Amino acid sequence: MTTWVIAEVGPEGPAESALELLTKARDLGGDVAAVALGPGATGAAEALGAHGAATVYASDDAIFEEHPGSAAAHVLAELVGAHAPDLLLFAGTYASRDVAGRLQARTGTTLMANATDLPAADRATTEIFGGTAIVEVALEGPAPRLVLVRPKSFAASPSGGTATIVPVTADVPEDRRGARVVERHAEAASGPKLEDAKVVVAGGRGLGGPDPFSILDDLAAAVGGAVGASRAAVDAGWVPYAYQIGQTGKTVKPDVYIAVGISGALQHVTGMKGAKRIVAINRDGDAPIMQLADLGVVGDLFTIVPALTEEVRRRAGS
Amino acid sequence: MSAVALAAVLAGAVALFVTRSRARVALVRAARPTPRTDDVAARAGRELTQVLGQRKLFQKAVPGLMHAFIFWGFLVLFPTIVEAMLAIVDPDWTLPYLGHAPWFLFVVDLFATLVIVGVAIAFAIRKVQRPARFEGSHMGEADRILLTILAIVVTLLLWNASRIALGLSDGDAQPVAGALSGLFTATSGTAERILVWSHLLIVLAFLTYLPRSKHLHIITAAPNVFFAKNGPSGRLEPQRIDLEGPDEDLRFGVATAADLSKKQLLDLFSCTECGRCQDVCPAWATGKPLSPKLLIMDLRDHVAGATGATGEIELQAPLVPDAVTDEVVWDCVTCGACVRECPVDIEHVDTIVDLRRNLVMAESRFPSEAGAMLRGVEGPNQNPWGQPASERTGWVGDIPVRVLQPGEDAPEYLFWVGCAGAFDDRAKKTTQSVARLLNAAGVDWAILGARESCTGDPARRMGHEYLFQMLAEQNVATLTEAGVRKVVATCAHCFNTLANEYPDYGARLEVVHHTELLSHLLAEQRLLTTGGAAGTVTYHDACYLGRHNGRFDAPRDVLAGTGLTSTEMERARERSFCCGAGGARMWMEEGGEARINDTRFAEAEATGADTVAVACPYCFVMLDDAAKAKGSDVRVADVATLLAEATLD
Repeated sequence: MTTWVIAEVGPEGPAESALELLTKARDLGGDVAAVALGPGATGAAEALGAHGAATVYASDDAIFEEHPGSAAAHVLAELVGAHAPDLLLFAGTYASRDVAGRLQARTGTTLMANATDLPAADRATTEIFGGTAIVEVALEGPAPRLVLVRPKSFAASPSGGTATIVPVTADVPEDRRGARVVERHAEAASGPKLEDAKVVVAGGRGLGGPDPFSILDDLAAAVGGAVGASRAAVDAGWVPYAYQIGQTGKTVKPDVYIAVGISGALQHVTGMKGAKRIVAINRDGDAPIMQLADLGVVGDLFTIVPALTEEVRRRAGS
Repeated sequence: MSAVALAAVLAGAVALFVTRSRARVALVRAARPTPRTDDVAARAGRELTQVLGQRKLFQKAVPGLMHAFIFWGFLVLFPTIVEAMLAIVDPDWTLPYLGHAPWFLFVVDLFATLVIVGVAIAFAIRKVQRPARFEGSHMGEADRILLTILAIVVTLLLWNASRIALGLSDGDAQPVAGALSGLFTATSGTAERILVWSHLLIVLAFLTYLPRSKHLHIITAAPNVFFAKNGPSGRLEPQRIDLEGPDEDLRFGVATAADLSKKQLLDLFSCTECGRCQDVCPAWATGKPLSPKLLIMDLRDHVAGATGATGEIELQAPLVPDAVTDEVVWDCVTCGACVRECPVDIEHVDTIVDLRRNLVMAESRFPSEAGAMLRGVEGPNQNPWGQPASERTGWVGDIPVRVLQPGEDAPEYLFWVGCAGAFDDRAKKTTQSVARLLNAAGVDWAILGARESCTGDPARRMGHEYLFQMLAEQNVATLTEAGVRKVVATCAHCFNTLANEYPDYGARLEVVHHTELLSHLLAEQRLLTTGGAAGTVTYHDACYLGRHNGRFDAPRDVLAGTGLTSTEMERARERSFCCGAGGARMWMEEGGEARINDTRFAEAEATGADTVAVACPYCFVMLDDAAKAKGSDVRVADVATLLAEATLD
């Protein structure tokens, strides 16, 4: 049994999802390898090894950035042909979904999307009916079976191993390259990356203006989280649209969501109801957010938030 | 000799007219047919009221009078063109019966003068008043057209004056021409010849100018009004999507000029750039790129350009973004103010939705933030917020409510709660108020509970016709199986879809809005109010209840029953200004200089009322958000809640 984790890598190292998948792959038993394609691959090998990859097939070639999806799918198809792994785990991200779909068209084998767990090497769980039911499915047919796993389905933990790096030549014929990236444009986001943050501190109309967001920044910095906002605060022009959480903004699923001065209108709730723990700080104890919150604090946010920040800092310091 | 010259000039003018019309005629003939032949009596009636009677032009009094003078003038003066041709052949020839009838001479004299007055008013409007609605219109072309009209009637009056001087016509019957006849003498025969020729040549030149000008409406307006939609404007023309059917029948809205229907093309060729639509458009009023007028002009210029000088039809270029930008297509709230205002019945909203259909279904190109709504509606829970379907009855609390189970007898009224009414905290209050009132009045009613799903309205207005079709078929099947006959809805959008659009999918329902049912229950004294509520209220007409469906009085009657003092906003009833949420805008971010809901709320606040009454959950959310953003003390509440507060238990 050989399991490969298709690791997303960058100059700053492997993506968290790669480490999560490696942790899971270790649990499944058998040989574990990682495939890292694109600039930063070799550099990421150490972290991949430390999380359980005995082998890292790596290529730092820029072609994987120039031809997203198609180049990686082609090289993967060649690697799969040469080494015959049994199971390939992908992160359920835009980039990996693209690769997995293209690869499946080449291998013609089972592809399971949106998995939330793998109880065994030939089993996967997924949610149906909008998350109201969880089913376990059998992965059948010949190897390799491809599984796309939702990010954050597992917690990454290191195994302390080291990996052997096997360099991969990025030999992609012209007719397999597909679309080429002609331009990259970085959306100027003045805030931190909301979707990945484990703690989100979000402010709403109750803040009353742009300046009080600084006390949220302080709290977020103290807990290592990111700052978001409700649509009301964005519409009022207090913070940019990149902060917006809700139906027409970002959807976040942090471990802890701290809603400050947010009433909890449906438009907002749809973007954060997946948070594991919800803390609401609001002057109005009858605000709809209080029904959703695990901990509701009724009071003046201008007193409570700085005090909370202070306490977090004090405990972190001691 | 004159007869030969006349024949040559006529033949030349007609040939030029035909040549210049050919491309546009071919385009319309090749276009997709529009099924608009139902209820011919209603269509003929519009020709009488709207074309002959100029009904919609009179929505603006002075410009309406201006246009009516010119229009009626030309109708009356039509025989004088024949008269001029006859006189060209022989100065003694004129129309039989009419030519020497004093009453006809008087009518011609009067209406020719009224046309001059009309042109003078038009210039006063354009040069002195300069209303903003003309921004973006071709002003130079309008000037040329008006001057040509002026030249036609001035040469007519002068020609008639010269005939009076020559003793060929009766001066007593023509006060204006009679007065002008002093300019001529009994020897002005040459002047008379020059004038009659000038008159006819200007008329013919105008004819050849028409096909490529915005003045083409004098030919296209009457058929465009005839083929306009009958019935409530809230109903969108369905576009059946049958994935099993032949591929060539599969169409996803309008991508290129070749996809436009006959009516849609006729719309483009009927626009006079008057800008009445632009004047009432909420998107334009709040500084967004969309103006219904510019949309039609841009599409027209694109289509006209496509048919080019060679006459070859090159229709493969995409309308979006070649003719209009994506932003323009997504700015529309489908409030229908433009359609209602348009004197020639251009249907801007249908064309915009058709463009959206192509962007959404064929290209998957739409404002990304609306994706959550589409996924929610399409997903297992079938509501825009993706809330669990099992929570549809979450509003019930301790209110006695019957949830209709499969196999049970249908109630008299099925209360269609709607997704907002079931999930949105503000709209839930409306739902609870209606439920309590129905119970108080002893109405036999029930809800579908978890078996209800989105009507598909936001998906349809967004352009996702296929998703709408699936939901429509599913909901119609549920309602039919349940044996439901009468439905009451609190959401104006659900109401419109159930009442006007579901019949296209086989529904046979009597649909009422909750304000109608409540007003009825009040009139029957099944609900008794204290009538003692204090304060002032202003009612905001929901587009899909009011303008699109003509329900203006029921909500006002209910408010009258509460005892609150009503005051009206400047823009009310059929001229109400949208809250900003229609056309699936509820699910999109808003750009531009101002927000539509803030603009509308400011109008409500300006009345001095302490409560803004609404009758639709979208309006409720939008106006309440605006009130909160402004930190206003003005309360926003549904008509039903205001009634419930004033009702005796």
